[in-house]
Amino acid sequence: MPRERRARALASAALAPLVMAGVFLLVAGGFFLSIGKPPLRTLTDMVLFAVGDAYSLSETLVKTAPILLCALATLLPARLGLVSVGADGQLFVGAIFGTAVVLAWPAAPAVILLPAMLLAGIAGGAMFGLVPGILRGRLDVNETITTLLLNYVGALLVNALVYGPWKDPGNLGWPATAAFPPAATLPGLLGTRVHAGLLFGLVAAVVLAAVLGRSRWGTELAVLRGNQKVGRMIGLSFPRQAMLVMTLGGGLGGLAGICEVAAIQGRLQPGLSVGYGLTGFLVAWLSGHRPLLTIVVAFLIGGLIAAGDSLQLYAKVPAASATILQGLLFATTLAVGGIAGRLRRADG
Amino acid sequence: MADLDGAMLGAWCAAALRSATPLLLAMLGETLTQRTGVINLGVEGEMLMGACVGFAAAATTGDPAWGLAAGALAGLALSSLHAGLVLGARANQIGSGLAVWIIGLGLTSYYGRPFVGGRVESLRPLGAHAADVPPVLRAVLDQITPTAPLALLLACLAGVWLYRTRTGLMWRTVGESAEVARALGLRPARIRLQAILLGGLLAGLGGAVLSVDYTQTWAQDITKGKGLVAVGLVIVARWNPFLVIPTALLFGASETAALRLQASGIAMSPSLLAAMPYLLALLVIVLSQARARRTGAMPADLTAIFRTG
Repeated sequence: MPRERRARALASAALAPLVMAGVFLLVAGGFFLSIGKPPLRTLTDMVLFAVGDAYSLSETLVKTAPILLCALATLLPARLGLVSVGADGQLFVGAIFGTAVVLAWPAAPAVILLPAMLLAGIAGGAMFGLVPGILRGRLDVNETITTLLLNYVGALLVNALVYGPWKDPGNLGWPATAAFPPAATLPGLLGTRVHAGLLFGLVAAVVLAAVLGRSRWGTELAVLRGNQKVGRMIGLSFPRQAMLVMTLGGGLGGLAGICEVAAIQGRLQPGLSVGYGLTGFLVAWLSGHRPLLTIVVAFLIGGLIAAGDSLQLYAKVPAASATILQGLLFATTLAVGGIAGRLRRADG
Repeated sequence: MADLDGAMLGAWCAAALRSATPLLLAMLGETLTQRTGVINLGVEGEMLMGACVGFAAAATTGDPAWGLAAGALAGLALSSLHAGLVLGARANQIGSGLAVWIIGLGLTSYYGRPFVGGRVESLRPLGAHAADVPPVLRAVLDQITPTAPLALLLACLAGVWLYRTRTGLMWRTVGESAEVARALGLRPARIRLQAILLGGLLAGLGGAVLSVDYTQTWAQDITKGKGLVAVGLVIVARWNPFLVIPTALLFGASETAALRLQASGIAMSPSLLAAMPYLLALLVIVLSQARARRTGAMPADLTAIFRTG
């Protein structure tokens, strides 16, 4: 390849995110204008509310934790070419399984209870991921549809439990389990609400980056993603890998759920996830399914959501605006990325 | 006695049909869109837009018919975003659909707040127009509004159009192979644009029927995945407008059954009952998938989308 061409490819690779960011800021400004908020002021406010002081930063990191884990839950299947949108359902079922352990042995010491709770959460999410994995691997049922539908089932399962057998009479009718004992509470880091879930996410991202980038397994996934026939010829099994990545991804989603319950909510209750699964999907997509980049993007989107909460409190901008901004960001990325691809093709 | 049983059965069927109507419309739209080789997961967002705008229009004008019209147009408007991304920017269809869904969810949560919990009048039931009918028919007509027969009629018309007319053949050709269509002098992008917009119109109408004519209220995320169910059930109906009718009715019947069982005081969690229609949808999708694969009912250009990661 001539050097000039390579330099141009490099430049366009660096340019695309900048153009995307620029277009998104314009679109977001337009949105704020349309709801009667000063665009520049609101945008700078959002940055301040996301990272402006220690408290804002800690709230951003609190949101980053489940988003990062859910993004990785999407990313791993994507490396096999699967489009899983099921992190929300996995999060709910992970929360259920982990909670079951706590409710069964509330008096157990923390050294036993915490790991048992976390492992149960991972197992629950993994099981919930395995179902669409089997359906895709063995029966060729599209995983996008099944994971989307299972999200609703997961949310309803939480409701069935907290309105039913797990409802604590001490809550005066509020649908929630009893509060977790201190031994089942994930400790905050440095006295903030930031919890171990963030560390789990960071470790998982680094491990995934290493494994997917350097191991034989990572290459197997890439081969199967590129061409199943070639994969079969060299002895790889798409069904087995589909089940494996969906199960492992589901485990990460489940971990997000039980961490959220044990560290932030303190009990299992509805409204556990404010669309973290879908946000995680967006994050994984925006980072091009690269684990280390996912950390950065999860932090940025976590900041967007945390800032949305603060804007609602202080500037009376409803929190739904954070959802709209996420949708606009996604659409902008798709549009700019798509048009850039078209131009590249036209360039030859 | 036989008459009474007949009336009860009639009431059941009518309830299932009413419950199925929003889904039927959305499914029909998605079926036609997918026939041209485009998948649109944004149907969920388009239904939400239709439901929210339709409810707002019905509440403001006091006329449910205006609500339905406004809702259909709102669905169409949002679907143009999918069209722009997919056809204009050549963006990934799955990603674009999810973006449209998120935007629809956000916009309706944002602008729908003043209308949460409000009530509107539905269209008048057909029974109000018929004076002297036997009780079996009466039980049906008193529950059915014009939207249900309209949806059934549209599905049949779409079926005849798709399989019996020249333009229907053009749409199917584009879905099987855009290349062949281009060689025949057709313009695939234009036909796909029409199909996406028509799908948006029908999804918006379905959403408006849900909020204005069925529940007669608006709540955040009122569709609760109906649009996503619609996209999934298109596989079950094997991309055939006629088969959309029984498939949607099956889902409607399961929803009705869940509601009736709950009302009958059964000792089962309402949330578990509410999960049944989703599980049923999953089950029929899984069962029909193997068949669809064998018979190759899926439009060929659509398979390409499912194959690429």
